[in-house]
Amino acid sequence: MKQLMRSALFVFTSLIEPLIMATIAFYTAKAGGKPEALFYMAIGAGVMGIWSSTLFGSGGVISWQRWEGTLELLVASPPPLLVIVVPLTIATATIGIYSLSATLLWGWLLFDIPFHLAHPLLFVIALPAGVISMGLLGLLIAATFVLYREANALSNMLEFPIALVTGLLFTTALLPDWTHPIGWVLAPTWAVNAIRESALGGSPGMAIVLCLVLGAAYVVLASWFLRVLEVKAREKATLSLA
Amino acid sequence: MRSWLRVFFVGGLIAYRGLFNWLRPAHYFPTMLAHPMFQILFFAYLGRSVNAQSDAFYVVGNAVQVSAMAGVYGMAITIGGERWTQTLGPLMATPASRLAIFLGRALPNLVQGLIVSTFGFCVGRLLLDFHPAPGSLPALALILLTTVASCTAFGMVIGAFGLRLRDSFLVANPAYFLMLLFCGVNVPLAVLPTWMSTISSYLPLTHGIAAAREVAAGASLGSVSGLVGTEALIGLCYAVAAYLFLRFFEEESRRRATLDRM
Amino acid sequence: MGVIEAHELRRTYRTSTGTFRRKSLDVEAVRGVTFAVESGELFGLLGPNGAGKTTTIKMLITLLIPTSGTARVLGHDVVKDAREVRRRIGYVFGGDRGLYDRLSGLDNLRYFAELYAVPPREMRRRIGELLDLVGLAGRENERVEGYSRGMRQRLHIARGLLHDPPVVFLDEPTIGVDPVGARELRATIAQLVEAGKTVLLTTHYMFEADQLCNRIAVISQGEIVAEGTPADLKANVSEGGVVEIEVFGIDEPAVQRLRAIEGVRSVGVEPREQAQVLVVQTDGRELTHALLVPLDGAQVGRVSVREPTLEDAYVALVRES
Repeated sequence: MKQLMRSALFVFTSLIEPLIMATIAFYTAKAGGKPEALFYMAIGAGVMGIWSSTLFGSGGVISWQRWEGTLELLVASPPPLLVIVVPLTIATATIGIYSLSATLLWGWLLFDIPFHLAHPLLFVIALPAGVISMGLLGLLIAATFVLYREANALSNMLEFPIALVTGLLFTTALLPDWTHPIGWVLAPTWAVNAIRESALGGSPGMAIVLCLVLGAAYVVLASWFLRVLEVKAREKATLSLA
Repeated sequence: MRSWLRVFFVGGLIAYRGLFNWLRPAHYFPTMLAHPMFQILFFAYLGRSVNAQSDAFYVVGNAVQVSAMAGVYGMAITIGGERWTQTLGPLMATPASRLAIFLGRALPNLVQGLIVSTFGFCVGRLLLDFHPAPGSLPALALILLTTVASCTAFGMVIGAFGLRLRDSFLVANPAYFLMLLFCGVNVPLAVLPTWMSTISSYLPLTHGIAAAREVAAGASLGSVSGLVGTEALIGLCYAVAAYLFLRFFEEESRRRATLDRM
Repeated sequence: MGVIEAHELRRTYRTSTGTFRRKSLDVEAVRGVTFAVESGELFGLLGPNGAGKTTTIKMLITLLIPTSGTARVLGHDVVKDAREVRRRIGYVFGGDRGLYDRLSGLDNLRYFAELYAVPPREMRRRIGELLDLVGLAGRENERVEGYSRGMRQRLHIARGLLHDPPVVFLDEPTIGVDPVGARELRATIAQLVEAGKTVLLTTHYMFEADQLCNRIAVISQGEIVAEGTPADLKANVSEGGVVEIEVFGIDEPAVQRLRAIEGVRSVGVEPREQAQVLVVQTDGRELTHALLVPLDGAQVGRVSVREPTLEDAYVALVRES
């Protein structure tokens, strides 16, 4: 966790990148003459930030461990890899919360975007539910990184498609129908939904539940995956190749 | 002279292959093709969602900008990456011209940038509502060449700093994202506050993208020649700056022994 | 005029400590090094780690600018005429890095051949010859990332010779290489001199310097403390003798008493498992009895008297400085 904080690149990804994306979103909304979309986008941009830092964190953590040569040690060490990776992933998702706050603050300071929560209590539940479920999705993705060195390239690529399909900055109604089911199984869809509904006034209940359900599913999948991949990685000797 | 050219062409290509780690298909497709494609789609849909600009606006802007995958990231890796392989010492011990060495790597990156941009334009044409004016293609190609060259020159400066810093991505990543905001890629310059659009005018891509948009809408090459010329000039300035930085860093490393410090 | 000439070379590093209140420290790594290497010589720069060998060699190959002093290689000043120097020298340093891992050995050589302006017509032939010379023929198409340490080292050497330079600098070439590989490397180095090249070698292995070099300069803490042929250096200590005394538990006052004995040049204490060995360098007279007296009270094991070796000479020189 500390290693991540020290990486200036990580700081950039978690803090500055979402602000840049948010700024682009805000200007776009302004240009489109739909100022009420601003708060909608502000939350979306913040969630984008959470997702970016989660993705970078999980992928980065594994790559770093591999590079530092500690990946093999971790796999060999007594507690299962899962127990080590889970808190790490959740930690990075938590850092993502900073980016959400930063984005909202940014929007409020520079673009006069009002910040008021329609259902504050639900918001307080929705936020951690969303963050945790996203963190666990990050974990699942990180599980594949254990085996594949090329993971980082893939993780770079995932930011935009997931932002598209999960409707972070704009509704998925704009996208062709076949993309919708993809979004349904991805945590960010429900996370942003839950957070937005509780902020803007709607019913986030369903979304919150789905976040938790998906999160649980990810954990199960991830631990199975990790076990299979650990064995495979040892067979293929890809653990140590930096 | 002959050896200068050989270092530039042959050497540049070998070094590019040695350092650019996204050449393998497993890397290449996600990073150089899929990522740009999704970027274009993302911003086009963003614009659609609030009725901000036309698809064409986003396609031209982003298809040109994604050349920065090679122009900025590629240059950061193929120059800044020397620090990682610790081959800077052996390089500097040779009598070869530094200009030939570093400029030689810009060429493959330039070509790569053109490929990525062209792919981006095709994506826009096929998947979005982008229809360049008939007959505008040659002019677009020329504008693209100038703009990608200027972006690569900018990337050379970034790469030079990558030699000095611990992580070449430290500068490259922010640069890539700031381009999205500043260069008129996704936000029309008119909407930006003055101080920002002023910065934009000193960055690569800004003028080229503006020219490309006009030409795609049917304007003649002649009418945008001023913009294209400015883009070329900006690129030249960055190239000169990059060369000066590289020479400065080399001299400084000889004086202060910073060459191999990670 | 020597092929390599160093005159009062000095190099100071400024290091800073601390994050907030940075303190600058000036470290003098090289303090007035002067020597000359003649054509066709294999000259050794011998010294412990941190003595300033690598810094000195870096100044000579133009990668570092001396803080003061001058150096010339083949008549060209290393600061003012850097490019001319670079054209004429080859440099090989030890280490795992310094090569493009993703490329094959052959591609690495081709790249540097271009940088050294090896005529294209000759390139293939020379690369082939060099691969044979260093024993990598047949492995050149493999990626360097799969090379062993010794193989990388050999590739480094091949790279240093691409443009057939008359002067070759080798910085600790056999460090980290297995004994068999190291022996082959040394044979290759000797061949270079036979072929008429001038070679400057840095090392901290005594026997390597003894075996290979025509002349040696011993460098310690940035200064040259002795210079001459291996025989010369041994001669410095040969009129003396070495008495090795094994003791169990010796204290500093006892060692000081030994040092005070007339005829004792130096006393070194070397830990060896549960005991210590006192290595006493004498000026040749019979001292064994005199040495044992101050040790009364300590447990003494084996005592042996022998001829001094180059290693003793080296140790004495380094310790004195």
